[in-house]
Amino acid sequence: MVERDAGTTEGKAGITRRRFTLGVLVASLLGAAGSVLTLLKVLSPEKQGGGYVTTIRPGDRLVYARGGETGVTVRASSMKVGDAVLVYPSSKASNPANLVQLIRLKETDLKPPTNIGLTDQGFVAYSAICTHLGCTVSWVENQKSPDASYTECFCHNSIFDPARGAKVMGGPAPIPLAQIGVKVTGEGALIFTSDFTGPIGPQV
Amino acid sequence: MIFKWFDERLEIEKFKAKFLRKTFPSHPTFLLGELALFSFITLVMTGVFLGFLYEPSTKMVSLFGAMVPAAYASVVRIDLLPMGLIVRRIHHWSAMLMIAAILAHLMRIYFSSAYRKPREINWLAGLGLWGLTMFAAFTGYLLPYSQFSVTATSIAYFISKSVPWVGDWMSRLLFAGEFPSEATVPRFFFMHVMLIPAALIGLIGLHLVILVKQKHTEPPANKNRKEAQGGKRLIGLPIWPEQGVISMSFYLFLLFVIVLVSTYIPLNPVETYGPPSPGTPVMRPDWYFLPIYGFLKLIPGDLSFSILGGKITPETIGGVIFPGFLVLVFASIPFLDRAKGPQPYMANPLRRPFMTSFGIAGGVFLCMDVVAGYIDVLHIAPQTMIIYTILATLAAGGISFALLRLYNGKRGNDVT
Ligand code: HEM
Ligand code: FES
Repeated sequence: MVERDAGTTEGKAGITRRRFTLGVLVASLLGAAGSVLTLLKVLSPEKQGGGYVTTIRPGDRLVYARGGETGVTVRASSMKVGDAVLVYPSSKASNPANLVQLIRLKETDLKPPTNIGLTDQGFVAYSAICTHLGCTVSWVENQKSPDASYTECFCHNSIFDPARGAKVMGGPAPIPLAQIGVKVTGEGALIFTSDFTGPIGPQV
Repeated sequence: MIFKWFDERLEIEKFKAKFLRKTFPSHPTFLLGELALFSFITLVMTGVFLGFLYEPSTKMVSLFGAMVPAAYASVVRIDLLPMGLIVRRIHHWSAMLMIAAILAHLMRIYFSSAYRKPREINWLAGLGLWGLTMFAAFTGYLLPYSQFSVTATSIAYFISKSVPWVGDWMSRLLFAGEFPSEATVPRFFFMHVMLIPAALIGLIGLHLVILVKQKHTEPPANKNRKEAQGGKRLIGLPIWPEQGVISMSFYLFLLFVIVLVSTYIPLNPVETYGPPSPGTPVMRPDWYFLPIYGFLKLIPGDLSFSILGGKITPETIGGVIFPGFLVLVFASIPFLDRAKGPQPYMANPLRRPFMTSFGIAGGVFLCMDVVAGYIDVLHIAPQTMIIYTILATLAAGGISFALLRLYNGKRGNDVT
């Protein structure tokens, strides 16, 4: 009997049991959705010390990034025309955004859009992080004609022209690798002289 | 005695009569789903073993004098244990087999049109199982934390980041912040050994319950016999003991093959790849990711634009839109190719020229994308490969359609 009454006293009370229950349900669903959103926010932290933010500063010395000489200062005299190596700024190897490809070309081969002012004695340097999906680029050396060597990312075969500002010659990479200034010091070592000229890493 | 003790409490007799006497129609291709299920069981068993020994952390530790991530060190140590390397290979080979079995199973369903009414829901559940399994394999891939793992995961990270509008948030949710960071491996470990297997078990359960409820499709050859009997019962083998014994011998045989393969054929040799280091050699993902990998190579780099504030880049097209489109096509098949009444029998693919040639064209398209993954060794330019892909797909579809029409016309069959 009591239940029936509740249904029929609508006019007087102004609210039925069904509407009340529905209201409570909607309110709790909204609350639940709100807390789930908060949880998702907690689960997707903004920064975890990753990402591609370079910490290279002008004046940093270039050291080998791999191989038996990892960490050793790169000597200008150890690289002939057509050579390329992966380098880090010294003691900043823990940041993958600092990985740079140092290439030695014939000075006269360097053409715009390469920033010639950022090169020295044919040494030119680009970010080594592919602008497609972030693999490290490699040097495809042409022994017979060194000026036909080029930079390629082996992940999806993006090809960059090191003599022309790392312009994309083929493949899915959307933009060139950013250039960074280098210079040979009096002692024959190499140092960085600028920031990257453009964005580094995948453009997403 | 013991049986009686349990029967008095659990009514096993009743379960036996109700469930174990159910009929499982026999056709060799009906074992494909079981193949996937058995591979999963193997994965769980070997996975539990690996889980006891694996360390989900990227803290640098010393291993034979070199500093490497703890996860990598623990996998190298697993490989050095008696049988450890083999268990790891069994795990990885079974993952490959599970996905292969799912694909073969899916093809069986597709070409015999078993997805039609009333089985649309189970088709979707099956697609979900396929997706979850790929996701399981993908999260498993990172765990050894070798150079290979990190490269593959990094590519996936940037792909997920390239999803328009929500990509940034989604990638942070999936990878626990930015990748690479020390938070990713623990999150992947949890998803790989707990969340995904639990979801898989739940979805497999649903898949099987629906199967039992809706009954299996039968080979068309059963039709006459069934009508002669005038019965509605399926024709086939009872689940227990006949089908059960077949399945168990099948599983044991499968285990034998997997162990044999794992003993002699290496897979994911993490010691060869080494711990993460600068420099990315030529590396290709496991075969089931090859179509996406190949497709990524075909998108020209200057193809980017933005709509409604969402940025569409070559990464988005190759890594998000392409797989998303595939999923959409797969999911909509039972709703586009509808049947009027319930379909108790497998259809004959030769009698369905359109659906069959569409399936063949789709298969050829995916295979051409796999080939596209090898354009660097084949020395084919991406543009040329795009043309080959389109031509091969159209040719495969067109030729098979024409042949099937001809075949049915000659025999005077009506086609559907
Ligand atoms: C309960 C289920 C599972 C558990 C407990 C488990 C556990 C593990 C563990 C601890 C690892 C890291 C050790 C290693 O890399 O060798 C691993 C790796 C892996 N898992 Fe699983 N797993 C399960 C299911 C699956 C499933 C369903 C798949 C895919 C279909 C899968 C695919 C992989 C792959 C591809 C690897 C990398 C293996 C390698 O290093 O070669 N796992 N799994
Ligand atoms: S990551 Fe370099 S081409 Fe895809």
